[in-house]
Amino acid sequence: MHDGSGLVVAQNLTKRFGSVTAVQNLSFTVSPGSVTGFLGPNGAGKTTTLRMLLGLVKPTAGLATINGRPFHQLGQPGRVVGAVLEAQGFHPSRSARNHLRVYAAAIGVPDAQADQVLGLVGLGTAADRKVGGFSLGMKQRLALATALLGDPQVLVLDEPANGLDPEGIAWLRTFLQSYARMGRTVLISSHLLAEVEQTVDQVVIISRGQTMFYGPLDQLRQQQQRRVLVQPSDVNALATALRAEGVQTIEQLPDGRLAVSDVDSKHVADSALRAGVSIYGIQEEQVDLERLFFQLTSGQYAGYAPAPNPYQQQGGWA
Amino acid sequence: MGNLVQAELRKTTTTGLWWGLLIPTAVLALGWGLATGLFGKFFVDFASTSDLEEVSDFLGVTPDQWKVTLFGMARAINISTIFPMVFGAMAISGEINRRTITTTFLTAPSRMHAMLAKMLVYVLWGAIYGLAIMLFLGIGVVLTSSSGQLPDAGGWAMLALACVLSSILMTMFGVGVGALIPNVAGTIVLLLLYFLVIENVLHFVLAYLEVPTVIGFLPNGSINGLTGSVAVDLFLSSAGVVPPEVEDVLRAIAGAGGALDWWWSGLVFLGWAGVVFAGGWAVTQSKDIT
Ligand SMILES: Nc1ncnc2c1ncn2[C@@H]1O[C@H](COP(=O)(O)OP(=O)(O)OP(=O)(O)O)[C@@H](O)[C@H]1O
Ligand SMILES: [Mg+2]
Repeated sequence: MHDGSGLVVAQNLTKRFGSVTAVQNLSFTVSPGSVTGFLGPNGAGKTTTLRMLLGLVKPTAGLATINGRPFHQLGQPGRVVGAVLEAQGFHPSRSARNHLRVYAAAIGVPDAQADQVLGLVGLGTAADRKVGGFSLGMKQRLALATALLGDPQVLVLDEPANGLDPEGIAWLRTFLQSYARMGRTVLISSHLLAEVEQTVDQVVIISRGQTMFYGPLDQLRQQQQRRVLVQPSDVNALATALRAEGVQTIEQLPDGRLAVSDVDSKHVADSALRAGVSIYGIQEEQVDLERLFFQLTSGQYAGYAPAPNPYQQQGGWA
Repeated sequence: MGNLVQAELRKTTTTGLWWGLLIPTAVLALGWGLATGLFGKFFVDFASTSDLEEVSDFLGVTPDQWKVTLFGMARAINISTIFPMVFGAMAISGEINRRTITTTFLTAPSRMHAMLAKMLVYVLWGAIYGLAIMLFLGIGVVLTSSSGQLPDAGGWAMLALACVLSSILMTMFGVGVGALIPNVAGTIVLLLLYFLVIENVLHFVLAYLEVPTVIGFLPNGSINGLTGSVAVDLFLSSAGVVPPEVEDVLRAIAGAGGALDWWWSGLVFLGWAGVVFAGGWAVTQSKDIT
């Protein structure tokens, strides 16, 4: 039997679908008591990894465990781990309540639990409606209700905010945080850091099937760089002066300004004064988390900007 | 396991498929029953008025005592049990199609547990379909037959047993095929083609090649053999001494050409259902649910 630790562990997980390597040598541990964000751009391998944790996809190599055991050794898995994987796994002509009663029976919890989780996710009034007529957000809520049926110790959610209205997202946020605070484990995937930034304490960031960052969100924040954007009278003179002082990370921006990293604006202004360069404008810039995320993941399927139309009329839109 | 069986039972009762397929099943059985009675009466009238006395000498009883309805009923059961087979075929392929299989596997101790629970529930449904088939078939036959052509109480019981067994086995076979070919349309088309066309052509070829005994070992041949042999046995038990050539003809009429004894036929088909289910289990066990 499982050890009840609430730990979710991925050990060197690799999954290949034919020639496509979806996940490559991925390792991380998710601990109870906090919400862990599992982040990566489209096609990074998030869904595949979560499905490996849940025993739905067989890893090509590596091991996935929940409470110290592979999924199929959990005994009554519905009572240990609840999962939202997609808002699609419903029979369209079954009512929400009947859907939940089917799985309540499978997990071995009383039918009353079905109505309780329906109320919890705000679907109480739609209980007897056929799921085929549900909106995406309602299906997402029903999927969450299904995951909560067995009052599980571990929650694994794949993009659960998909289709939720702002109120639903806010509710989900507080719900997951309080769930984690009860000493349970919550793993939630997203392709948007901003979406989960306020919810998660830990992050696992992956790109192209590999781990790019793994640790507390605060640690990621500390990696944020500050830059000073400065508009000097003589770009070259200031750059030379700064380099002479050992500042190497200097970049010329397209608008003619200099971007100087790893120093504060006072340092730049003092250097300019010593070099006899006037400053027309100076500004300190925080690189936000989202940009850091972009840098870490550098979109596998990033699109191109649309090519300029050569026949475009001058001033057509201007 | 009890929990999973209850879950699977709820899955079948909370959608309309069970009665959506049960209605045409009942209509078919009833219609076939009515036609069997009418056709039997026509045949017996014809035999009584013409000079087929030699045949009646063979059979040792007068034509109006021939239990000809047995043959029509055996055929009716063979055809009607296609519906419970289709119902079974949707069990696993339907869940894969609707993507509910994800939650099913997430809430079961193992995939094998989930599949076995499903199989048990579909055995029950096979029995329900079998009883419904027998009921409506019986009503149809009784309405249009004269009593001389109907089986006695023991005969009815034996036929009902064959019908329920046959329906259960066909359902189990369907469940296996649905797991083996996880695609609803593909599964159903294949099953219908095989049971209605392919194997009948095969029977014809095997008979032509003079190896009819092989038929009794094929899926459709063995399941038809189960009901057909029961029908022939019942018919012969009320007739006199019958020469082997006539018995062969009777077997062919009952759809049990080349078939083994009824219980052997049932075992052979159970073997087929087992093989298919094992294959379906192997496929499902290693399948990535993405
Ligand atoms: N069944 C499958 N067969 C073949 N390739 C697959 C299969 N499932 C996933 N892949 C591939 O594996 C890679 C990772 O896919 P995955 O769905 O895990 O990404 P994701 O991070 O969940 O993306 P998204 O943000 O779009 O949901 C992709 O290149 C995808 O095409
Ligand atoms: Mg995904």
